[in-house]
Amino acid sequence: MLKVATAVFVFLGGFAVMVLEIIGARYLARDFGGSFYVWISQIGVILIALALGYAVGGALADRFRRAGFLAVPLGIAGVFTLFIPNFTPPLLEAIVMRHPPGEEIPALWQKLDPVLGSTLVFFLPCVVLATLCPYMIRLSTRHLERVGTISGLTYAASTVGSIAGVFVSGYIFIDHLTLPAIFRATGTLALFLAGLSLAMDRWLK
Amino acid sequence: MSAILLKRAACFCALLNCVAGQAAIVFDRFSAYHHIQVLDERGVRTLSFNGSMETRMSLANPRQGHFEYTEYFQMPWLWNHDIKRVLMAGLGGGSTQRAYQHYYTNVVVDTVELDPVVVSVARTYFGVIETPRHRIHTDDARVFLRRTTNTYDVILMDAYATTRYGSSLPPHLTTREFFTAVRERLTTNGVIAYNVIGRTAGWRANIVGALYRTMNDVFPRVYLFPAKESQNVVLLATVSAERFDAGRLQREAATLLRSGTVKLATFSARLTSFMNNPPPASAQSPVLTDDHAPIESLLAGEGPPR
Repeated sequence: MLKVATAVFVFLGGFAVMVLEIIGARYLARDFGGSFYVWISQIGVILIALALGYAVGGALADRFRRAGFLAVPLGIAGVFTLFIPNFTPPLLEAIVMRHPPGEEIPALWQKLDPVLGSTLVFFLPCVVLATLCPYMIRLSTRHLERVGTISGLTYAASTVGSIAGVFVSGYIFIDHLTLPAIFRATGTLALFLAGLSLAMDRWLK
Repeated sequence: MSAILLKRAACFCALLNCVAGQAAIVFDRFSAYHHIQVLDERGVRTLSFNGSMETRMSLANPRQGHFEYTEYFQMPWLWNHDIKRVLMAGLGGGSTQRAYQHYYTNVVVDTVELDPVVVSVARTYFGVIETPRHRIHTDDARVFLRRTTNTYDVILMDAYATTRYGSSLPPHLTTREFFTAVRERLTTNGVIAYNVIGRTAGWRANIVGALYRTMNDVFPRVYLFPAKESQNVVLLATVSAERFDAGRLQREAATLLRSGTVKLATFSARLTSFMNNPPPASAQSPVLTDDHAPIESLLAGEGPPR
């Protein structure tokens, strides 16, 4: 049961990251346009968030050693994501409109404005979602000689989730859901993961 | 200097290829957005993005050889006889810019083009020049519109993203919020003309219908000019609520041609494409919004998903 729960947990975490990345690029185009740099910054910023999340997640796992601890950051990430459609439009507008009107935006800021946008909107939830993988590897490992298998399977489950996130976003969500609805669904998913992390502690006992 | 040599070499190749019946590649480069090629064949220069033709131009007379649909970008004169300032999104090989610079010498044109490589190709290979009457801004059309303090009598939209599978509309340039931003930058007698690749019925009719619905959500009147020689429809919308019919159009054209305001030889012939009824697909089309613009599935012809 716990193994299945762990796999589902990291699968859904990986899923949510890629929904935010793909849908996020479309969301940012309203303010930053169809620029190539929107994709560059979206991919770059999410990867920075993942790197940070992996490092932090592993360290936290060594310290706390219970899944339930993740309920706190996941809860914050969930609420944050739920309200992306509400609080981010004025922030993104401020990034673009801080340049004097009627003048061309300097080349450097044409590249870096979308990076600021991606960071403001997507960095926090993606850092949190990236902690799940190393955290669950630590919790699932009982014997050192099995750590290779367990870490491999955990990363595989998370990445399969990410793959699903890419295709489901591009083929289904974009066609049938509004962008705010997709963010709310992803925020709800993170809150569900927070609940699941608490439940996993109970199953561990 | 090397550019001149390159051009000479290109012309020479074009002559040779006239005999061989094969296009000479004059320019070939991948930009951030497209695989851009300039091809010369039988005295005609073509701009190609990812294998699809964007612009055609006669090498002997750069004002000839263009696609017929670009002439519909001169139709806004029918609604506004006093056009002074035009914004055009999408440069390509600059057919429309050339036409405006030649025929309408009092009009100031701003061009917004996202891809800096397209700008340099237009300058080098398609004779697009920047003058006080024509400025090029390397920017996204929507970002530009939002930040500009200018108002325009006419806004022309021909901004396309292309893939191996054909051209695709940038979603953020199709929504109600985008057209609202357009209307805010138009004068009281302003006109927007929007090139949509597709037909009023059949191939890609869903995207034409959705654009019609969306434009009509923001502008009181929307008209269509389906191209005769290609699979394009130019949608034209006015800030004014006055309704024009074919008869009114003929009278306006007669005035424009008589006064010499419009000199395009084929202007009258283009009027025959005019349609003032909604395209059939618009009835079940969604209004596209920033929150929901399923451009990809509309282009794929699966029908409106909601």
